[in-house]
Amino acid sequence: MIRKFYVTLFAFAVTLSGAMAQDYSTYAALSNRVQALAKQYPSLVKVKSLTQTLGNKDIWMITIGTGNTAEKPAIAVVGGVEGSHLLGVELAMGFAEDLLAQSTTDSIKNLLNQQTFYVFPNMSPDATEQYFAKLKYARSGNAKATDDDRDGKVNEDGFEDLNGDGEITMMRVEDPTGEWMTSAEDPRIMVKADVSKGEKGKYLLFTEGIDNDHDGAFNEDGEGGVAFNKNMSYNYPNFVSGSGEHMVSEKENRALLDFLFNAYNVYAVVSFGPYNNLSKPVSFNKAGVSKRIISSWYQDDVDVNQLVSKTYHQIIKEKNAPETPNLHGDFADWAYFHYGRFSFSTPGWWVPQTKPDTTLKQKALTDKNGEANYLRWAQQQKIEGSFTPWTVVKHPDFPNQKVEVGGVDPFVMMNPPYKMVPELVKEHTTFIEALAKMAPNLDVAHVKTEKLDDGITRISLDVINTGALATQTKVGEKTNWVKDIHVTLQSNGQVLAGKANQTIDAIVGYGSEPLSWLLKASGKVTITIESPANGKKTISLNL
Amino acid sequence: MKINIKKLINTIVISGCVLTASAQEPGQIFKASGTPEHPKVEISWNRYYDYEGHVEIAKKLAKAYPDLVKLEVIGKTAQGRDLILLAITDYKSGGDPDRKPGMYIDGNIHSNEIQGTEFASYTAWYLAESFGENKFIRDLLHDKIFYIVPSINPDGRDNFIHQPNNANSPRSGMIPVDNDRDGAVNEDGFDDLDGDGNITMMRRKDPNGRYTIDPDNPRRMIRVGPDEKGDYDLLGWEGIDNDGDGLVNEDGEGYYDPNRDWAWNWQPNYIQSGAYKYPFSLPENRAVADFVMKHPNIAAAQSYHNNGGMILRGPGAAEDEGTYNREDVQVYDALGKKGEELIPGYKYLVVYKDLYSVFGGELDWFYGDRGIYTFSNELWNNFLMYDKPDDEGRNSATPYQFNKDLLFNDAFVDWKPYHHPQYGDIEIGGFKKNFGRMHPGFLLESDAHRNMAFTFYHCFETPKLEISDVEVKDLGSGLKQVTATVANVRMMPTHASQDLKYHIEVPDVISLSGAKVIAGMVVKDKDLNIATEQKNDPAHIKVDNIPGMNKVVVRWIVNGGSKYTITVDSKKGGLVSLTK
Repeated sequence: MIRKFYVTLFAFAVTLSGAMAQDYSTYAALSNRVQALAKQYPSLVKVKSLTQTLGNKDIWMITIGTGNTAEKPAIAVVGGVEGSHLLGVELAMGFAEDLLAQSTTDSIKNLLNQQTFYVFPNMSPDATEQYFAKLKYARSGNAKATDDDRDGKVNEDGFEDLNGDGEITMMRVEDPTGEWMTSAEDPRIMVKADVSKGEKGKYLLFTEGIDNDHDGAFNEDGEGGVAFNKNMSYNYPNFVSGSGEHMVSEKENRALLDFLFNAYNVYAVVSFGPYNNLSKPVSFNKAGVSKRIISSWYQDDVDVNQLVSKTYHQIIKEKNAPETPNLHGDFADWAYFHYGRFSFSTPGWWVPQTKPDTTLKQKALTDKNGEANYLRWAQQQKIEGSFTPWTVVKHPDFPNQKVEVGGVDPFVMMNPPYKMVPELVKEHTTFIEALAKMAPNLDVAHVKTEKLDDGITRISLDVINTGALATQTKVGEKTNWVKDIHVTLQSNGQVLAGKANQTIDAIVGYGSEPLSWLLKASGKVTITIESPANGKKTISLNL
Repeated sequence: MKINIKKLINTIVISGCVLTASAQEPGQIFKASGTPEHPKVEISWNRYYDYEGHVEIAKKLAKAYPDLVKLEVIGKTAQGRDLILLAITDYKSGGDPDRKPGMYIDGNIHSNEIQGTEFASYTAWYLAESFGENKFIRDLLHDKIFYIVPSINPDGRDNFIHQPNNANSPRSGMIPVDNDRDGAVNEDGFDDLDGDGNITMMRRKDPNGRYTIDPDNPRRMIRVGPDEKGDYDLLGWEGIDNDGDGLVNEDGEGYYDPNRDWAWNWQPNYIQSGAYKYPFSLPENRAVADFVMKHPNIAAAQSYHNNGGMILRGPGAAEDEGTYNREDVQVYDALGKKGEELIPGYKYLVVYKDLYSVFGGELDWFYGDRGIYTFSNELWNNFLMYDKPDDEGRNSATPYQFNKDLLFNDAFVDWKPYHHPQYGDIEIGGFKKNFGRMHPGFLLESDAHRNMAFTFYHCFETPKLEISDVEVKDLGSGLKQVTATVANVRMMPTHASQDLKYHIEVPDVISLSGAKVIAGMVVKDKDLNIATEQKNDPAHIKVDNIPGMNKVVVRWIVNGGSKYTITVDSKKGGLVSLTK
């Protein structure tokens, strides 16, 4: 009887440590999941630590594929782009697990014979760990000690848990100079008073804590250094809290870039983070591509984004995603503008737009920051722990004023309750698999040899792209870090016209490029057409 | 093998030279003004030194002057060489050396622009060897510290010196790059067809050619007029189409430009040709940047390039024009104009306006990201040949004349026939790689000295703080008012306006100890008693800036005490203290 109990318990534990996680993963749990994959699929998975963060955490890279993975077209899947976005870690890690779970099916077996997936489940492990810490707060920065307010002191003014609930929310202070008031749509929410509408503020509003360094700013220089998603070289914000002392200063960023720049086989980057060009594709802006520093995708690449976004919509059920926030120094933009690859990104989940419950006499909401909508949704879904009611605390900086701590809990607006995660992982895995089926792929058509006279032969053919995505981006045509299609012709004779050795720029999805040569040769001629991101095709002819 | 023999010969020559010099008795030498009379480390400044050679100079200086010169390895190059830095100051006086206002100097960021290393090494040598006999140098090293990286690109330096090259190659560092993006790397570089170590020009007789031999100077090729018939084609630099793609020398050593790698307004290579993967993806630059960030006392910087006779300041890119505002431009102008006086034939110019618009340059990072006043000097130009301007442009006859008159044709490989596998019968000839962008030996020391003098002026004008006046007034009932005047007696402010704009460095802190501080304030007008109180931590008054040739006044109300110590703590102005 007792033995049976233990067996059951053991089975339960195995299930837990396997694919069926019950909550977002700590660093330790994620590391276990990563290693478990390597153990379970030794022929398909290689695990490597790209670097260790200053917080002594490995940046994991999972290579999924067969044979010489570096020579097959690849998708890079990146999670933990934003440290407070735990879901991004789950989507990347979950993709690896779900994909491998299907690896015995013909279609995925076939896919893994042809392509490689590089999965980086968490680029911000120092920051995501804050979700599990004794003091829980939304954190983007790594473990680097930074002087966020540039006053010469490091981490001297962090948060304080004034109401002792283990998490950081907001703090409001009744004050005649306050610019904030409670929202008419939901009195729990604070909004800025609109003087032009005759509104008058009643509260000062801060994050929860004390002004430890007495500089008038609250919690402006706490634990939490440089954010991965603010440290990239495109549109980099100089001297902004969390952006670092200069572009690409951080170990995490450098390690990933050092790998990616050598991975010429990567044709697309899928990242899970705040940037979203899957729910709504980018639009073409002519002025943006006519300046020296371009700020718009090229038209051909916009077309690809539209196609991929359409695929995303067919798979992902939730619509009405919010607009991409204004980002600087972010990863997804970098992947297109500086890495020259197709870059697709989504937060993976957002608070659904609620409908007013007429039985409760609710009205449609207009609030800008979405908090009222979130609270209504949370109520409809019966989600607990989404709001900390305002409660009075004693505050040393405001000894004679009424100070209350409360507000929407950290993380909840970006990270859904965990029970929703498996379904989101499933959908996004399906999406990435669909994207892989659109991969650019080289082939040839209309191979023709014409004997002109006395040993002179004209060879002509079309190089075709059998994939829906272009062989490379338009921006990739310009950079050293994307390889062109390389065409070589070997023969025992002389090339009279055409080149024995040449490169071809981007071929659009299902497009073609005609080539021809005039040869004075006989016997065997070999033409090789290859690019690391598009595959290789060899043709042998006998003249 | 050939390289090793060359190195061996170099070593013999260097050690031989030391032996010869030490054979001369001090009594046999009569001092030339401005030059150290009895240097402990004998160096000939009329030739160039390879990587090992310049490291040897640095080691000898550090050994001969342990109280003045410290040698540090700040990183490894891409090919694994040690990247060296000399920290030079009077370690015996003037306080914590790394708190003294610092002057950073480097040379040779472009592999072929090698004489910056000799200029930087000369500076190190001059400081150490003159310290004993020159008061100006003693004072300078009491107040300041020099951080000198003689070559910021040692891999490229040795390639230029020991491999076949022309005066322009390689500009790049040595990490291989697939320039033509065909998947093969560095597969079609120059070919030293005549095996003389120099990549010179190829020409071919052609009745329809557009060039002919200059009748006044048979070594020089000139383009014929639109209505004239020529008899030669120019076929470019010595080389063959190694990979059969119809292009000659299109994928050689490198190519990336180490001076497009710096993390201020960095742009990728399709926008800024020469950029590598990401800012500071080159280990040499990263090592320097990390060093600079750990040394906020660096207030001034100089990098040496060639050529053109230019004293350059940023902005590098037109897009960055707003970064340099009026106060800073005034400082730059004063320094640059002085430079024009010190180095005849050199012009003070702005990179984006007068040269080309460029992103990711070293001088922009030093100024934009660190708030350090920085110049890049483009060493050597044709002016120095006859001490007069040469306006003839790119294919000027002046160098041909100079080569003949003063170098006795030592700088030219005379045209000779060669059978080329693709071009057939051609001729090869032209200037050697050590001519055109580099100083001839007899002008090297002279120009090194002038440029060094410019860096001394620049360094001298970094902030020097003095507590010039402390006034104590009794307010009664045990209270006293202490008013301190802190002067900056040099031209540069403690914070460049770029620094102020972004709070790159922390404010200067003026503090009082020796009594209980009741209140503290910054006095705007002492006479009219206008002051701004600092409520928080009044014992440590923060001032944003101490402007050049100017002062700030601070005041405390204190209780008790009779002796007060005033301390000024400024990252770029140093640490100064006075007790009264």
